[in-house]
Amino acid sequence: MAEATKEHHISSAVVSARPEFCQGVAERIASLPDTEVHYVAESKIVIVMEGSSQDAIGGRLTHIALMDHVLSANLVYEIVDSQNLEESCYAALKA
Amino acid sequence: MPHSRRDVLKLQAASIAAAAAGLAPGALAQPVEGGVGSLGISWSKAPCRFCGTGCGVMVGVKEGKVVATHGDVKAEVNRGLNCVKGYFLSKIMYGHDRLTQPLLRKNNGVFDKDGEFEPVSWDEAFDVMAEKCKASLADKGPTAVGMFGSGQWTIWEGYAASKFMRAGLRSNNLDPNARHCMASAATAFIRSFGIDEPMGCYDDFEAADAFVLWGSNMAEMHPILWTRITDRRLSNPHARVAVLSTFTHRSSDLADLPIIFRPGSDLAILNYIANYIISTGRVNQEFIERHTTFMTGMTDIGYGLRPEDPREQAATGAAQAGKMDPSDFEAFKAFVSDYTLDKVAELSGVEPTQLEALAELYADPNVKVMSLWTMGFNQHVRGVWANHLVYNIHLLTGKISEPGNSPFSLTGQPSACGTAREVGTFAHRLPADLVVTNPEHRKRAEDIWRLPPGLLPDKPGYHAVQQDRMLHDGLLNFYWIQVNNNLQASANSSNEAYPGYRNPENFIVVSDAYPTVTAMAADLILPTAMWVEKEGAYGNAERRTHFWQQLVSAPGAARSDLWQIMEFSKRFTTEEVWPPDILAANPDYKGKSLYDILFRNGNVDRFPVDELSEDYDNQEAKEAGYYVQKGLFEEYASFGRSHGHDLAPFDTYHQVRGLRWPVVDGKETRWRFREGYDPYVKKGAGVEFYGRPDGRAVILAVPYEPPAESPDEEFNLWLVTGRVLEHWHSGSMTMRVPELFKAFPGARCFMHADDARDRGINQGAEIEVTSRRGSIRTRVETRGRNRMPRGVVFVPWFDASQLINKVTLDATDPISKQTDFKKCAVRIEPV
Repeated sequence: MAEATKEHHISSAVVSARPEFCQGVAERIASLPDTEVHYVAESKIVIVMEGSSQDAIGGRLTHIALMDHVLSANLVYEIVDSQNLEESCYAALKA
Repeated sequence: MPHSRRDVLKLQAASIAAAAAGLAPGALAQPVEGGVGSLGISWSKAPCRFCGTGCGVMVGVKEGKVVATHGDVKAEVNRGLNCVKGYFLSKIMYGHDRLTQPLLRKNNGVFDKDGEFEPVSWDEAFDVMAEKCKASLADKGPTAVGMFGSGQWTIWEGYAASKFMRAGLRSNNLDPNARHCMASAATAFIRSFGIDEPMGCYDDFEAADAFVLWGSNMAEMHPILWTRITDRRLSNPHARVAVLSTFTHRSSDLADLPIIFRPGSDLAILNYIANYIISTGRVNQEFIERHTTFMTGMTDIGYGLRPEDPREQAATGAAQAGKMDPSDFEAFKAFVSDYTLDKVAELSGVEPTQLEALAELYADPNVKVMSLWTMGFNQHVRGVWANHLVYNIHLLTGKISEPGNSPFSLTGQPSACGTAREVGTFAHRLPADLVVTNPEHRKRAEDIWRLPPGLLPDKPGYHAVQQDRMLHDGLLNFYWIQVNNNLQASANSSNEAYPGYRNPENFIVVSDAYPTVTAMAADLILPTAMWVEKEGAYGNAERRTHFWQQLVSAPGAARSDLWQIMEFSKRFTTEEVWPPDILAANPDYKGKSLYDILFRNGNVDRFPVDELSEDYDNQEAKEAGYYVQKGLFEEYASFGRSHGHDLAPFDTYHQVRGLRWPVVDGKETRWRFREGYDPYVKKGAGVEFYGRPDGRAVILAVPYEPPAESPDEEFNLWLVTGRVLEHWHSGSMTMRVPELFKAFPGARCFMHADDARDRGINQGAEIEVTSRRGSIRTRVETRGRNRMPRGVVFVPWFDASQLINKVTLDATDPISKQTDFKKCAVRIEPV
């Protein structure tokens, strides 16, 4: 491993809200820094969060879980990306 | 088209989440295992270490350290999802103040109860501990020694503790903190069905039409199961959710029927529902005639307070609190007919239309109902009754033991079921629902454990609250606490718990990973290996037994609770702890150590270390020279096989994501007592509650009785204590995760804005919460996630700097001995 590797976390989560609130919740989530909304279905929102540490991701998830009208917010997937893994990452994705 | 590598990674992350959410087709890849961030990380399965849900997680280890966890897609419980606490699992072992060496209070180089903690070797720690234990035994006998464990013990740790205390030291003073958690549920299972634990399972979430939460806030306490309910409700327009609570919380957001009732009045509501089912002609007559029996319970049973308390003196039924007498349907019908809509609406403060709508969910034969509860029912001075009353309404309608019809007792600890209940670490229990008071049961344990006949003590030991009282009174003098923060969790702690820890007659040992409030009040602290630092097994709320391997080493000299018990047992000989007459009649047992008796007994030591997995370490087995976890598990499993508690062979559990017992012919059981699902039900019976000799479940007539303490002029508010999303129980692990700490750094008192205004208190102001027992300072919260009705305040108990249990009352359910942390009277003043 190279020294001083900077971690970059990419995490996805599923958030649920009542259909009538789903769009509003999605907009509020999308306004958070380093947070993207990828799908909004009937009552579910798939989001991707980025951050420099697990703390940053978990803190944001906690914040989202406690937003008004959010019924649940759970992590699904996390990639800890670091620059020195670049080549291997591509290989893994192609495989 | 993605432009950068990070875009590709984000799309991959999003598509896996979409698949987990059921939004996108395609095979759901196990995250990370094949993922790009996984290089250099090895992944293994484990159950989460927090609540009783029992989610499967994948644990990533790199260079001897747990670096990541994520939801296991192969785990049926959580299907790849991970809640906030579960996400931070990898951090709980790496708090800055992790204990790595035994610490003994010393002065001038020797033990001194008033001394300061100094690092000592394991040998010195065990020497002093053994000396104190033997002195207590010599002075007062086996009732002077005790142990307090937990629903966080692994199965074999709890099992080893039970053997050590009962067979080794001949004391039943062994109780788990699960006493504070689900003793009422366990007691009611035995009384109603003759066998512990839920008949249904989590598959009910996708089969039910209605969900009724009785006092439970699953959105914060069981987020993954709440997600399953949310999915069911939102994707099936006919599904309904009722949330009953004493205040509005996050689970209320999903509720079609949000019901706020006065503390304690749930008993009346349940009897009203039974009355409604009967009076509207919706009793399932065939079911009750074939499968149930009616009984009447003793009433006016007191509050489990000290016997000199006037409330106990006045309670006419306290001496026989658990008594049940045979009755019949007509008597039951007449009994519940008193619980009319008007009367119960008045008592509970609930709108009559809401009560009717709730009752109709149960009464309608076309609605499959799942009832769910945890501490709201169990931490209740009538907790056993509350459990009975919910079974009553499921039994009257026959809505039980089939997919979607499921009275379901949730649990708060990862192995409250697997260890505390199934292994039997309660003061009155043995493995597989056997009890110490039954001579046949003791004989069975003596046979399996290869002990001389008549060795096991026949009187139940001190339960949790009684242990505090006996420490206080100087009758329990040697006390060993493992895997829990007992002092922070004990009600009325300043008066009843803490004095016992500092009583000069007592020696207190605490095994923990962190310097908790309890550890700091002890005389000796033993550093403990936690979670994946040891091989382990837990049993979750749906009877699922699941295993994990040792994935990393514990830091410094920290060792597992199992190792500690095994090592300590080497310091006792049978001559020191067993009666001479038993040894005289059984001379083969002379001159042996308790380690020889309990572990080198031909059962526990029969599997060689070459059966260990090559891929994982196992500290205890390698040191012992045999596969001790396997030996303990197989010996333990022999109690329940062919007795309704069948467990699969040890090795199977390392391959699968858990199995729900009874596991018969390799098949798990999802719904017990129902033919076609449960192999123990006799052919043609349809339904058989085989835990009871008559095969019938009990419908019990018991009334509403008021709480032990209610608000009055001086103490004019109800205090309810509980938990929050970010912190698990006493916060000893989650408060050490920086982001969880930041999210909710200190407890607050949730209060109605008008109640605050009446007292001249502004949002965020410092206040004093005072009861007849004590007071704490905290800050008031009139907004936020919990919205209180007037007259009720809520304070979470995770915060060691604001010990709300100095304020609570040590009243218990008189039958289960479980503490009521939900109902006492306080006053609140600005500081």
